[in-house]
Amino acid sequence: MIRFLLIDTLKMKKKWVWFLVFLGPAGVVGLEAFNFLLRYEWLTKQYQDDLWGGLIDESRLLAVPALMMGLAIVASILAGIEHQTNSWKQVLALPVSKCSVFTAKFMLLTFLLFISCTCLGIGLICLGMALDFGTKIPFEYLLKISYYPLLAALPFAALHTWLSIVVKNQAIALTCGIVGTILSLYGVIMPDWVPYKWLFLENSWGKFEYSATAGVLTGLLVYLVGLLDFSRRDVL
Amino acid sequence: MEKFMIQTKGLTKTFKKKKVVENLDLQIKEGEIYGFLGPNGAGKSTTIRMLLGLARPSSGTIEMFGKNLQDNKSFILKKTGSLVESPSYYGHLTAYENLEVLRRLLEIPKSRIDEVLSIVRLNREAKRPVKGFSLGMKQRLGIAAAMLGNPELLILDEPTNGLDPSGIHEIRELIRSLPKEHGTTVLVSSHLLSEIDLMATQLGIIAKGQLVFQNSIEEIRKKSMSRIGFHVNNPVEVKTLINSSHAVNEEGIVYVDYLADAKVAAMIDVIVSHKYEIYRVQEEKKSLEEIFLTITNGEASL
Repeated sequence: MIRFLLIDTLKMKKKWVWFLVFLGPAGVVGLEAFNFLLRYEWLTKQYQDDLWGGLIDESRLLAVPALMMGLAIVASILAGIEHQTNSWKQVLALPVSKCSVFTAKFMLLTFLLFISCTCLGIGLICLGMALDFGTKIPFEYLLKISYYPLLAALPFAALHTWLSIVVKNQAIALTCGIVGTILSLYGVIMPDWVPYKWLFLENSWGKFEYSATAGVLTGLLVYLVGLLDFSRRDVL
Repeated sequence: MEKFMIQTKGLTKTFKKKKVVENLDLQIKEGEIYGFLGPNGAGKSTTIRMLLGLARPSSGTIEMFGKNLQDNKSFILKKTGSLVESPSYYGHLTAYENLEVLRRLLEIPKSRIDEVLSIVRLNREAKRPVKGFSLGMKQRLGIAAAMLGNPELLILDEPTNGLDPSGIHEIRELIRSLPKEHGTTVLVSSHLLSEIDLMATQLGIIAKGQLVFQNSIEEIRKKSMSRIGFHVNNPVEVKTLINSSHAVNEEGIVYVDYLADAKVAAMIDVIVSHKYEIYRVQEEKKSLEEIFLTITNGEASL
């Protein structure tokens, strides 16, 4: 599997993927910096008990749509490498299973998003320091807010991996990504069972872990269904 | 019994209720260059996709290296190199990097990349991005990629498509040398008979999804033997006069199979003695192209 991941990273060369991976968190941190600079007085008053918590919560609302959009674009680029060069048949005529090809794409996407999330966490720490919020950084909360949305987004990652690979026209995958991003903005007011709500880690029990677990399980399910469909398809 | 490299039985593929490939029984022996010939849209590519496990047969079986393809896919594909239609690359990568991607998948030593690049004579262009390559260079790179894993079987779908004459010549020489130098069996498809004629030892012709001819290339050459045509004033009566079962009347010319000089003279004598007029006697050689057209019912593209 590692071998496949390495190969896919090799193919990613000069595709601006890494740029996107860093652009996402940089954008969120940048906008947050802007937000806090503009309304510093008001926001620090609002969150005076927990300045760090306030910063993290504010950025969460921005991070979700960024994650959704980034996920769709990166998935599309990863699959697009093969679509653009018409090389699906070449890849699949090699002694590799379709399963490992599909899994490599999914894992690479997840891995890249993981890096983005890590960058976001680091970026937020830097921002907090720069805003002079002190050194009492709530690491546990920060880690949860950085990585749980990724776990909750796994169903979408799996869906987009499948969609980008199966439908050659990447406009379709990207349109779905944009619609998904817009829908995710309304995630908070959706019922508990809607995956869009999980992204914000909100549920009526008030436990982040529930949302993350639901994401992981559904993500696995979507991945398996996508994998099954992909391996049964003829390559044209 | 001879060992077959590829053997299909009743291979059928249906697309939206239309049978694209129907009841195909291919038999390809070891060490052959098998020319797979057919007009555009006859089902060549679909067959090749099925042989590479890219498409599932609707019915029928495929055996390669004596094993069933469905159950031994990775074993078979490991020994098979392929070039499917216009070869595809990661254009942003160099020739070397493209092969490196494949090399890692196939887990073979790095030195093999330089070997195959020198076989197709691309070693000097190895460090250039592929998007700047000419069509012929891309095609050669495709063949290099197909040969990377030291395959025992090479499947090449229209390898000379879109190449200029010197490019075609180069690829042809390369393919012809493969069985001798590396013991490779080659399946090469084309819609050009003249192409196949120059390199193949065995021939399979597919038309409208069905295999209409499968034999050695000599067999079809025999069919291209010449025949004798008689231009006469009354072809219908002359035909009955000659009374040979092979005599045919085509557009006012009576044709018989090839005859020795003396027999031709005798035949002329008979015709003249019955007071028919002979205007011309001509020898006509049927070209392979014509035979191909007859076999494929004239829907061939030249």
